[in-house]
Amino acid sequence: MKELTKKKKINFTPWIFISPWIIGFLIFTAMPLLFSLIMSFFNWPVIGQKVFVGFQNYITMFTKDAQFYKSLFITLKFALIFVPFNLIIALILAVMISIPVRGVYAYRVIFYLPTVVSGVAVSIIWGWILNGQYGVFNYILSFIGISGPDWLNNPSWAIVAIVIAGAWGVGTMMLIFYTAIKAISKDLYEAAYIDGASNVRSFFSITLPLITPTLLFNLVTSIITSLQEITLVLLLTNGGPMKSTYFYGLYVFNNAFVKNRLGYACANAWFMFLIILLLTALVFKSSDVWVYNAAGKNKKRSKTS
Amino acid sequence: MKLSKLEKTIFYILLTAFSLYFLLPFVWMILTALKSEAEAYTFPPKFFPSVWHFDNFKAAWNSQPFGTYLANSLIVAVLTTIGQIVSCSMVAYGFARFNFKGKKVLFTLLLCTMMLPWDVTAIPLYMEFKIFGWINTLKPLIVPAFFGSAYYIFLLHQSLTSIPRDFEEAAKIDGANEFQVFTRIFLPIMRPVLNLIGVLNIITVWNDYLGPLVFLNDRSKYTLALGLAAFKGVHTQQIVPTMAITVVMVIPPLIAFGFAQKYIIEGMSGAIKE
Amino acid sequence: MKKVVSIILSLSILLTLMAGCGSSPNTESGGANTNGGSSSGKVTIRFSSWDSAESFEQQQKLVDEFNKTHPNIQVNFEGYGDQYDTKISAAIGAGDAPDVMYMWNYPKYKEALEPLDSYIQKEGDSYKSNFYETLWNYNSMEGQILGLPVGYTSFVLYYNKDLFDKAKVAYPTDNWTWDDLHAAAKKLTDQGKKVYGYAVPAKPDPYDYEMFLWSNGTSYTGVNGTVQGYLNSDKAAQAFTVMQDMLKDGSAISVTSSNYGEAEFKSGKTAMYITGAWSVNTLKNAKVNFGVALLPRYSSNQKSVSAVGSSGVAISKTCKNKEAAWEFAKYWTSEELNKARIGYELPVLKSVAESQNFSSDPIYSKFYTMLEESKNYTPTLLKYSNWSDLSDSLTQAFEQMFNPSVYKNPKDALNDVANNF
Repeated sequence: MKELTKKKKINFTPWIFISPWIIGFLIFTAMPLLFSLIMSFFNWPVIGQKVFVGFQNYITMFTKDAQFYKSLFITLKFALIFVPFNLIIALILAVMISIPVRGVYAYRVIFYLPTVVSGVAVSIIWGWILNGQYGVFNYILSFIGISGPDWLNNPSWAIVAIVIAGAWGVGTMMLIFYTAIKAISKDLYEAAYIDGASNVRSFFSITLPLITPTLLFNLVTSIITSLQEITLVLLLTNGGPMKSTYFYGLYVFNNAFVKNRLGYACANAWFMFLIILLLTALVFKSSDVWVYNAAGKNKKRSKTS
Repeated sequence: MKLSKLEKTIFYILLTAFSLYFLLPFVWMILTALKSEAEAYTFPPKFFPSVWHFDNFKAAWNSQPFGTYLANSLIVAVLTTIGQIVSCSMVAYGFARFNFKGKKVLFTLLLCTMMLPWDVTAIPLYMEFKIFGWINTLKPLIVPAFFGSAYYIFLLHQSLTSIPRDFEEAAKIDGANEFQVFTRIFLPIMRPVLNLIGVLNIITVWNDYLGPLVFLNDRSKYTLALGLAAFKGVHTQQIVPTMAITVVMVIPPLIAFGFAQKYIIEGMSGAIKE
Repeated sequence: MKKVVSIILSLSILLTLMAGCGSSPNTESGGANTNGGSSSGKVTIRFSSWDSAESFEQQQKLVDEFNKTHPNIQVNFEGYGDQYDTKISAAIGAGDAPDVMYMWNYPKYKEALEPLDSYIQKEGDSYKSNFYETLWNYNSMEGQILGLPVGYTSFVLYYNKDLFDKAKVAYPTDNWTWDDLHAAAKKLTDQGKKVYGYAVPAKPDPYDYEMFLWSNGTSYTGVNGTVQGYLNSDKAAQAFTVMQDMLKDGSAISVTSSNYGEAEFKSGKTAMYITGAWSVNTLKNAKVNFGVALLPRYSSNQKSVSAVGSSGVAISKTCKNKEAAWEFAKYWTSEELNKARIGYELPVLKSVAESQNFSSDPIYSKFYTMLEESKNYTPTLLKYSNWSDLSDSLTQAFEQMFNPSVYKNPKDALNDVANNF
């Protein structure tokens, strides 16, 4: 194999390594993906006659469906709040649980605990806590003289309620950051300490640059998941009040399974796919500047500033 | 690592605030699981039950064949975790440490598979699994894991990019072939992240609800998440059993987390010095 | 080197196979399900319902009973609770429909269902006439019967006797108007204790709320699906104005829970609410001291009309053993089964309602009276082709009327809907 590479022939080794994914993609992903694209050109009720309609679904979506724009806008707004909010909290928590104080083991478990709870239970609990009339949250707020809003019943507050309840599951991202932080060699910190760098400075000059690949991962995946968010809005607010939390994911789901318009839902989904693809491409493009890559081309950044 | 006084103050304020935020709803869930059905609904809600109904757990567990569900969930969790770890480590290594023609296109394609929502591919996937004869078996939940998931591959890929090239070059000079480099050098390096992936995967499949809902029919094939969801009817939600089963369901993933936490730390040298 | 590759590859294949074996201790029954038969000549029928865990066991026993008495048919029971629609949509969409299904949304599923008229004819006239006539309308589309009625609910006014006694207010009667209800609600309200006279769901199902239009002499749509002058008529707006007035003066509370305010009623926070029969058992179990009355009227010379929530059992067009499926559907709607499900569903057979003396039962009789009153009304769902979008807009209009942060004028809200259709 080594000789092959030397002769500049095709190196099969990487192909062998990635073969499981390629096989899996061909068997389990390619067909449904392609099929959903085909369905988007049909009037395809889940039950009933299927008729080819060309680009009609896309045209209807852009020209006749006001809800399409509303849902799209709400979802983008949610992502704009939720993604940075979640990333920052996750990073703060990850740093906190990597500081070896007494009881840190317990804090790790506490911070991580909510991610283990199933979505059904999460929505019930938060539905109670945020109940405007009888909820615990407003009860606690009343002690400090604040009369809390009717979280789930007020169009301007419902999206905030979703952010609060959604951030409860931030533990996954925290754990991913934490793993990346733990992988940093402690020699770097020792050297910085000897040089008299403060903790804050160490964080910004060592920790942050070295976990940028993970930051990129968390950024991309949280953009994707927040633009596809459905569980919480389905169970906690069911898109309400007055569609103020009728996220795009819920819109697609309802088109497919409630309104019996699978073809149209596929068109919706593929449009969102393009938006996500575009955003992800932008993030990746920018990552050449800010993401540390020791194995790739930008070796110049291997020394931290 | 030494914290200054100011840093310490901020640290403990944040710690308390976050602990309350994460813990209180959870504690309340446990307390609800111990209440009587009538008390669970009282407005304003009572924090502590007037009578502690520890038998709620037993009643909830026996109200459905949860033993069977547990076995199914364990089969799915264990096998998918093995599958993900084996396949993702290979694929991520292939993408992160080699340059080959078409790599960019393929990696983009890999990322793309995360971007289409589940609902529009569910029906085509259903048709496919039906052709395979896999409907009403656990196979649709297990087998795809052996071909890697984009999310974990991407995660591993990111952790591998911060490892300098010298690693494999040094090993190759010592006479190791490509696979020895993978198994002897990179697998140990990847171990903390593989542990992490194990934990993440267990929790994902443990609480996955829509997949099992669509592909399983008989109760004998149900997973725990599906059993939990069965407490919700069209007009009713049995709150107390829902909470009781949720509390029980949390235990296995937490055990997995406990183990992984140990290995994530052990796997790497501690980064921050006291 | 190549050896290592092949070892790894074969290992992963082996693991895949293991995954397959480990997963299915009894794949056979799964296979039999899709084939609709197995080697022993026994016919397998898949039967799916929206039962949740609460009623699953009880239903399973009734299925087992059938399997015991029919040695050639094996019925497998599947209950999907709240997510029933998602599940059977996906299954039907992928060509894997259950053989016998619980059904209410006939417009959506009609093309997947077997017309049952010829089967019913074979059973004779008396078979068909024993069901309440109204219910056949709800289980038919375009003149074809697609399901056998299995249960129904109409809507009634529930009231908490203890709260009425405490406030020394007379219990609601069957002759109440909305003004009577409003007056009583004011007396029952105790803002300090957060107790309210009445509960208005902030997000009601438009299907159910058509009953208030019927009661006030109109409906969502007229002949040929005209919307203008129907759902935005003055009568329609008037029907909801009284509810909004109660919210505004604080004698009612806007509730968000999907059960029309059952949770608030159960915990004694509201004195009255309107809902279907599904709450009877829940409230009995919670030991609430409650009574029910007919729906209030809009004026003393009008009658109140109720929406009918109906469920039936339907047979899939793709079912391979329709005779066996019919045999089971018949069993499931028989007198014996109607009786066995009392408390969980209201009997749909006249003979059963009579033998149980429901006409004199202080609670159940109200549901039957409301059913009779609603005989001549057909819900827009069954006659309007674009119900799903109309329903969507109406839901939003209701939210705007009943959400405290908006309280939109009912006439305006309904005009907005009408102008879009």
